[in-house]
Order: sequence, then C-alpha cells, then structure tokens
Amino acid sequence: MDANQLDLLKKIMELEFACQDLNLYLDTHPEDQKALQDYNYYSGQLAMLKQQYSQYYGPLMVFGHCQSQYPWKWVEDPWPWEIEY
Amino acid sequence: MYNQIYYPKSFLSEQSPSIKLAQAYVPIQKYVSIYPPEEALKKGTVFPELDFPYVGEKMR
Repeated sequence: MDANQLDLLKKIMELEFACQDLNLYLDTHPEDQKALQDYNYYSGQLAMLKQQYSQYYGPLMVFGHCQSQYPWKWVEDPWPWEIEY
Repeated sequence: MYNQIYYPKSFLSEQSPSIKLAQAYVPIQKYVSIYPPEEALKKGTVFPELDFPYVGEKMR
C-alpha cells in the first residue's frame, strides 16, 4: 500500500471515528445544532474521501455498498491485517 | 440466601439498615468543543471533557 493510499485510508478512519462519536452524542442530544453541524460537516468530508478512495484504490465495502470496476476489485485490496500503519 | 433475605422486600425496610440503595446518575453533557479528527482517533474520543487517558502503573 503506497503512502498516498495509506494517508487517505487513515483520514477516512479518523473522520469515521469522529462521525461515530458525534453520532452517539446526537442520539442523546438530537436538538444540539452545533453538534449536528459538525456531524454533517464531517459526514460530507467522509463521503467525499470514501468516494475518492474507492475510485482510485477499489471498494471499501461490498454487499452492494460500492460498485466495482472490472475485474472484481474487492480481492485486490490489502486485507486489514496486511496494512502496515 | 441473599435473594431470600434482602430482595425485594427487605431492601426498603428498616430490618437491614446497613444496606443502602445506590443511585446512579449521568449528568447531561454539554457541547463545548471537539478534537480535530486525527487527534480524536488517537485519544479514543472527540470530547476533551471525556478524555481520561489510562495511566496505569504511574498512579501506584
């Protein structure tokens, strides 16, 4: 995995974590506008980076969440345990 | 034995004064500020007020 791919993957993990944590906060504070604003901002960034990643490096998810170019790209990804962070 | 004697009736009676009921509470969190995503992932939370690093051995 080259440095650019790893960098993008790390950013995706960071944003996904931030969204996850804000998600938990919003579950108990559904009317907190500032939190919602931050959640939406990071969600937007996350969607953008995921889109970018899948386009260049192959799908992040299968089961119908991502389309694949030919040939089937999923098996070309390094598996999580093969990535050296 | 424990169940038979103290639960549920005796818990509230004066027959077991040494046993007090506990009450759990969680204060409502207020939204103040959050860590940038790269810092949040390292710390395990986006909320500075919930950032309690595990210091383990150093505390002893």
